[in-house]
Amino acid sequence: MAVATRRRLGALGLAVGLGLAMSGCLQDPDEGGGGGSGGTAGFADNSSSDGDGKVTILGAYGGDEKANFEKALAPFEKESGIDIEYTEDSDFTTTIKTRVAAGDAPDIGFFPQPGGLLELAATGDIQPIDTFLDIGNLQKTLVPGLLESTILPGDPTGDDAVAGAGRMYGAPMRLANKSLVWYPKKAWDAAGYKAPTTLEELTALEAQIRESGITPWCMAWNADQATGWVGTDWIEQMVLSLYGPDVYNEWTSHAIPFNDPQIVGAFDEFAKIAKTDGQVYGGVQTVVNTQVAESMVPALRNPPECMLERQGSFEISFLPAKIQADLDNEVGVFPFPAKEASAEAPPILGGADLAALFNGNDPDAIEVMQFLTSDKFGAEWAQAGGWLSPHKTFDPANYPNQTTKDIAAAASGASQVVFDGSDVMPKEVGSGTFWTGMVEWIQGKSSEDTTADIEASWPQ
Amino acid sequence: MTAGTDNTVDVEAPEPGDPTPPEDGRLNGGDPGSNPEAARPAKIVIGLVGFVIAGWFMWNACLSFAYYPQWYGNSKILIGLLALVVGVGGAYLLFYFLNMFVEGLPGPISRWLMPYAFLAPGYAFIGLMLLYPAIQTINYSFANADATEYVGLDNYRTVLTSSQFHEAIFNNILWLIVVPVTTVCFGVVVAVLADKLSTNGEKVSKSVIFLPMAISFVGASTIWLLVYQYDPPNEDPTGLLNAVWRAFGGEPQTWLQNSTLRLNSFLMMVILIWLQVGFAMILLSSAIKGVPEDTIEAARIDGATELQIFFRVVIPQIKGTIITVFITVVILVLKVFDIVYVLTDGRDKTQVIANEFFAKLFRDSQSGQASAIVVILLIAVTPVLIYQVRHFRNEELGR
Repeated sequence: MAVATRRRLGALGLAVGLGLAMSGCLQDPDEGGGGGSGGTAGFADNSSSDGDGKVTILGAYGGDEKANFEKALAPFEKESGIDIEYTEDSDFTTTIKTRVAAGDAPDIGFFPQPGGLLELAATGDIQPIDTFLDIGNLQKTLVPGLLESTILPGDPTGDDAVAGAGRMYGAPMRLANKSLVWYPKKAWDAAGYKAPTTLEELTALEAQIRESGITPWCMAWNADQATGWVGTDWIEQMVLSLYGPDVYNEWTSHAIPFNDPQIVGAFDEFAKIAKTDGQVYGGVQTVVNTQVAESMVPALRNPPECMLERQGSFEISFLPAKIQADLDNEVGVFPFPAKEASAEAPPILGGADLAALFNGNDPDAIEVMQFLTSDKFGAEWAQAGGWLSPHKTFDPANYPNQTTKDIAAAASGASQVVFDGSDVMPKEVGSGTFWTGMVEWIQGKSSEDTTADIEASWPQ
Repeated sequence: MTAGTDNTVDVEAPEPGDPTPPEDGRLNGGDPGSNPEAARPAKIVIGLVGFVIAGWFMWNACLSFAYYPQWYGNSKILIGLLALVVGVGGAYLLFYFLNMFVEGLPGPISRWLMPYAFLAPGYAFIGLMLLYPAIQTINYSFANADATEYVGLDNYRTVLTSSQFHEAIFNNILWLIVVPVTTVCFGVVVAVLADKLSTNGEKVSKSVIFLPMAISFVGASTIWLLVYQYDPPNEDPTGLLNAVWRAFGGEPQTWLQNSTLRLNSFLMMVILIWLQVGFAMILLSSAIKGVPEDTIEAARIDGATELQIFFRVVIPQIKGTIITVFITVVILVLKVFDIVYVLTDGRDKTQVIANEFFAKLFRDSQSGQASAIVVILLIAVTPVLIYQVRHFRNEELGR
């Protein structure tokens, strides 16, 4: 209304004229490249004042998560005298780009994936962490794979030099573990099943469960417009388990094509579970038509109608309140096995929230960064639940129940953490053709055709 | 803004520094003997200053709602009410000062300008919200994915050769063939039958048929999602259709995935028809009631059967309304999006143009191709719109 009425006299001609004039031009391709000297010797700086005891943070956590985060900050704020102002934005990925482009970057931002972070690192808006964090120390305490994901790719010298390439730009402050298999604990204990440590043992376990007259796997993919993401997680898990983190990272970064024979092999391996009669509760039709959050419902019946559910740590929030109240006795969890057993826990598919500093000149912001990315941060949040520390040295006594302790142990003992591939791939694949492709695949399309079609949709 | 000041430059010039009190005095002194056609600088200045202040106040009040909710106790209700007061009151003030400004101008200019001054905000709004985006969309349809470079007709080539788009076109045509005709037919039948009921019976039956109109498309789609819900044979059915199907001994079906003979598309058309029959019925019912009784009486005396009366006497007289309803539904069908988005999101051969556009823009970040799709949709709708305008004009003339 305000807009309408503020226009006046002659505005019609003005609007049409402006419309024509403005639409004659295109977007500025360099938008978002505001300021910054590419992180060479200079500092990434934002417009907020430095050393004033005030630090602004932008992140995606709202509701309970926000409250728990603030709880975890309170003792630090009291001790240091720094006032931390946290702003939530569920559309963080877009907002941070807009705010940086407008010269209104927060002091610190929490990136859910490395992609968005590296994009802004490339434009010189983020301070490399080697200028204020002890990387050697961090590498000792962090789960491997996380810091490495924040290295800006490219050649730092030569003709096509990428300024600031080869340096790290973010440090993790929260970990997610998606490589988990859930089971109904009472039935599991009664049958005396053992958690498998190799893919072969997993297959043997499936056979054992089938013999007892129960379908091994629970599976549910329906997420309305996002239907298919559970399938992408499964394929990512298969690639990681079969071939390890190196092939996995080559695949997600498109160093090898999407329809590489190894990947087709992972699809076929998954077909032995998802597309084989008697392996999945209710068969393909039930999988596609059941809501993701309801996948474990048949597992929690008495007697259970399926035994295993591969899902991330957030499965807890899907469980009925009655089960959540008695979590440790109702459900159990084991890490999804790798192909071969090894001394270390298998690599995990997961993710981390990466803290990045936009204000390299502000000693207060640096102090906050040092705290957030240390293993001292998060005890209060861990106790409240729903948060995992990316540090191996974090005290597990802080986690509220055995289930969470198991999840954390699987993550902190992992040989490596890789980021969820569909988040790393370009959007049109990662949350587009990969999702729809999985739905077509489970409904009968061959692994070769599916992977070839997804490869064809990869942006050039 | 600029246009406004341009107009006043010459008038304002003789009053530098605009000391308001003396002018006020002159205004109040309001010598009626002087020429009413002459400019009244006081009015111009007050109007202009008032306009700017009112605009400035409104703008900042709105910004403060967004930036400093704590000033209003973080109460969304209070902010909503204040926004209402500021919006409506502000609009009143803006028009009041605008009016004062224009009245202050010399007579002939004032009379000429007055209608434009009051129309301008509306035109500006249409220009900003409709015209500019439309032109920009056409422009972007010739540019690349993030609209940084022109790529000629590439987008149109990509879109027109993609099998997804062909499928969407095919489905939209299917929707076009089925939905408008069925809606109008049902609407006429219900209207005629309800007309024959008792007063109360008519009221109740019409209300029931009209009820779905009150539900949003997304809400209706969610309800029907439950109707078509699938559950495995060993579990109790939660989907209404499967419950009925199983009561008659059938195996549970995944209705929305069954694209045999486009069953899933037809099942979604049912929703749109269910939503729109009420609208068709209301218009057609009033048209039927408007058919003069004597024409029907005359036909009856001539020995026509009830069916003949209906097809030869009633239908020709409500043809105009039928066409209006039909076109409205046609345009609605061309734009159909919500139902498909909620129920299948275009999976299993159910894609439609609007959903394809949405997917291209928000899922694939292909703004160029997405723009090309809507431009094609725009071109498809235009003849219908032109026909509709013509039809309305003829109707008006006929009255």
